[in-house]
Amino acid sequence: MRILRFVVRRLLQLIPVLLGVVVLAFLLVRVLPGDPVRSILGQNATEEDAAAARARFGLDQSLWQQFLDYLRGLVTGDFGTSIQSGNSVGSEMALRVGPTLELVVISVSIALVVATVLGIWSAKRANRVGDHSVRMFALVGNSIPEFWLGLVLVLVGYSILGWFPAPNGRVDPDTDLTPLTGADLVDGVLTANGPAIASAAAYLVLPVLTLVVGVVAPLLRSVRASALEVLHSESYAAAKAHGLRDRTLHYGYLLRATLVRLPSLAALVFGTAIGSTVLVEYVYSWQGFGQWALRGLLYRDYPVVQASVLVIALCYVLVFLIADVVHAILDPRVRL
Amino acid sequence: MARSPRPGASSPALSRRGVLQLGGGVALLFATSACAADSGDKSKDGKSDGAAAKTLRIAVSSYLSSWDQDFVGFDLTALMLYKNVFPYLIDYGVTNTGGSQILDTQNITPTFAESFEPDAEQKVWTLKLRRGVKFASGNEMKAADVKWSKDRAFAAQANVAGVYRTIGLTSADQVKVVDDYTVEFHQAFPSALTRQIQAISLYVFDSVEAKKRASSSDPWAKEWFAKNPPTGGYFNVAKATQGQEIELSANTDYPGPDPAKTPTIRISVVPAASNQRLQLQAGDIDIALGISQRDIQDLKKTPGIKVISAASNRQVAIQMSVTAAPFNDVNVRKALAYAVPYEQIITNVYGGDARAAKSPVPLDMPGYDEVGYPFTHDLDKAKAAMSAAGRASLDSELVFEADNEEQQKIAVQVQSEAAKAGIRLKLTPLDPATLGERRTKKNIPLQITSGQLWVDDVEYMLATSFVKGANLNYSNYSNPEIEQIYEKSHTTVDTAARNALWKRVQEILAADVPWVVICQPNFNLPVREAVAGWVQPMDGLARLRYLSASA
Repeated sequence: MRILRFVVRRLLQLIPVLLGVVVLAFLLVRVLPGDPVRSILGQNATEEDAAAARARFGLDQSLWQQFLDYLRGLVTGDFGTSIQSGNSVGSEMALRVGPTLELVVISVSIALVVATVLGIWSAKRANRVGDHSVRMFALVGNSIPEFWLGLVLVLVGYSILGWFPAPNGRVDPDTDLTPLTGADLVDGVLTANGPAIASAAAYLVLPVLTLVVGVVAPLLRSVRASALEVLHSESYAAAKAHGLRDRTLHYGYLLRATLVRLPSLAALVFGTAIGSTVLVEYVYSWQGFGQWALRGLLYRDYPVVQASVLVIALCYVLVFLIADVVHAILDPRVRL
Repeated sequence: MARSPRPGASSPALSRRGVLQLGGGVALLFATSACAADSGDKSKDGKSDGAAAKTLRIAVSSYLSSWDQDFVGFDLTALMLYKNVFPYLIDYGVTNTGGSQILDTQNITPTFAESFEPDAEQKVWTLKLRRGVKFASGNEMKAADVKWSKDRAFAAQANVAGVYRTIGLTSADQVKVVDDYTVEFHQAFPSALTRQIQAISLYVFDSVEAKKRASSSDPWAKEWFAKNPPTGGYFNVAKATQGQEIELSANTDYPGPDPAKTPTIRISVVPAASNQRLQLQAGDIDIALGISQRDIQDLKKTPGIKVISAASNRQVAIQMSVTAAPFNDVNVRKALAYAVPYEQIITNVYGGDARAAKSPVPLDMPGYDEVGYPFTHDLDKAKAAMSAAGRASLDSELVFEADNEEQQKIAVQVQSEAAKAGIRLKLTPLDPATLGERRTKKNIPLQITSGQLWVDDVEYMLATSFVKGANLNYSNYSNPEIEQIYEKSHTTVDTAARNALWKRVQEILAADVPWVVICQPNFNLPVREAVAGWVQPMDGLARLRYLSASA
């Protein structure tokens, strides 16, 4: 009940935050130099053609009117029409959010598990060879650009070893997967399409690995530092002096206390991972949300930019909300 | 010290096990599926290393933004696909030049149409449709479809409506249905460009199907057409996996000449040029349509791959703003024209794979004359021109496309040489939208441009680039005599008379120097050795019907 009240309160607090995001995104995209209409007109287009196109997208209205129309659309779930494609932004976004979320959620989940296991293992072996190796891995993971790592993995995994499919999408089209959520692995499971599940999983390996290497490093360092702090704490020393079993010490004292900081860091890393997908999607021909948002920004496709900023903001606040709840569950001292 | 238990304390142990089981399962799935995918890929029939391959695989850099040709933005992938899946009633023929097959822009032949001919005055053009041509819906293509498609184009006030102005078509009333298989186009004036303009504009929608999808708020079924591929072209779209792959199947009901040679073409989206190269080398694709110049040079030596080379009409230039200082002074423009290291750019940027340009009119275009651009790299003449302009030095900005490696290299080399003549250039890469806006405002002093004209004719070139208000006239150039010649050219249909006009145009451009004309890079396309039948598209939009893969 306490958590439910907290969640409801936080969800209500989201309304002004998201409203702020809506206003800022609307204004900032228009402050940027660039004319979205000119990019869709043909070579012989005249000023009259440009004016007609502006009228078609409501860009001939006053800024206030455009904003009110946009708000009215949002309330009814209408994100507007893409200037580049002429398609509904909502339907375009629905196709692209699923694939990116699938990529990010799987990557961050794996990174969390790897960071927790390796971080604690490393802290318990502080300053020994294993610890140095893990710290070196974290340092390298922090330093390698995702773009470069992705290209290397494609070269090795696809071109040299031939273990993974060509980097040309998310699932083999011959599996005839029926898209439901846009997340191909999930859709494969939901439609019980075995070949699609296998294919989607195979296509996921390299991009997931690329993202995992990028996001695991900061998590690993944090977990290791937390674990070391716990291992050197008086409470842990006292528990150990009382002769508690290793299993009890590990799970009851070390793990729980170590993981207290992890949720908020994981939330931050989740945001970083969403940002990283722009390049990862490019390398692996993923055609997800990141590439769509980037193209929208490059061509000043106002409705696309506004929608993508709003969705990213929504993801951020929801992930932080989840992180706060998990934090509170792990640490009873936290007041909700 | 005892830990106080709290409700639910045992549940995390279960979750941990669950997490481990899930993790193990996913890892196992990844491992097995990776193997499965590997073996699956190698057995695809799309590979062209077998005899008489039924499927060709082509990589492109991006997925198309919309299936609606009337309302799409400038999207080369989409425009290329449209050429192959929309029924275009007339199209260019093919000719052999220097061992290469190229689209013959002087020979436009009916495809889905039976004929397209003018009256004696060349003002009324009559289009006769073949009988029995069907869309995938089973509906027969009739004059009403042509009329509906043209009405839609005029209503859109975008691509087709814009280009129709050059041949005196400005309103839907000028397109008249005579009978079920005959349509007339009543132009305001005769034009030598009519066939070429119609070759890029005469595509037809299935109006019977369209009307079923239209509504009072969407009378032209924009929403439906944006998402649903057209039918009835040389190919039909068998399957489209959003963002990933489009499968084309040959339209066996195509009634005209040169039907599609390959039954199935799979077009996959691979944005990274390096990945296209790897897939080409591995044999997973047969043709790479988005590969970088550097990769192409390497691929020339790769076994199993050939690079198809052909002269191209793509021209690279620097447009100078003739209405703003310092380039409003013709002597300053001449100074830059003499300062640019043309041969060095051809060698360093294109590896020698480009032709030096001698006119703003592209090489091979009818009417081309070398009088158009009498400038070569000569720093002494550049300095003399600066002196004639009364300047020892000047500063300017040189704008180019932010993600364009070729333009960046050119900009650096121009900057270096121009500095020797006292022209100090600040290099400014711009993203597409900012570049578009600044071009509209005409406030770029110098900018690198690159492109090819869709209509191989000087009148069209003037219409797009050298007359007042032309969309690609970033120089803001205007010359009263050229304006007169342009007006006269609309109604001049005699070839000799037109060539005389074009010669004068090039003499004027040589004196006014609104552009630094750098070169015409050759066209290079890396393909698997088994691929045959590539026809070099002079409008840049590949015609896939000629392609085949043999043993």
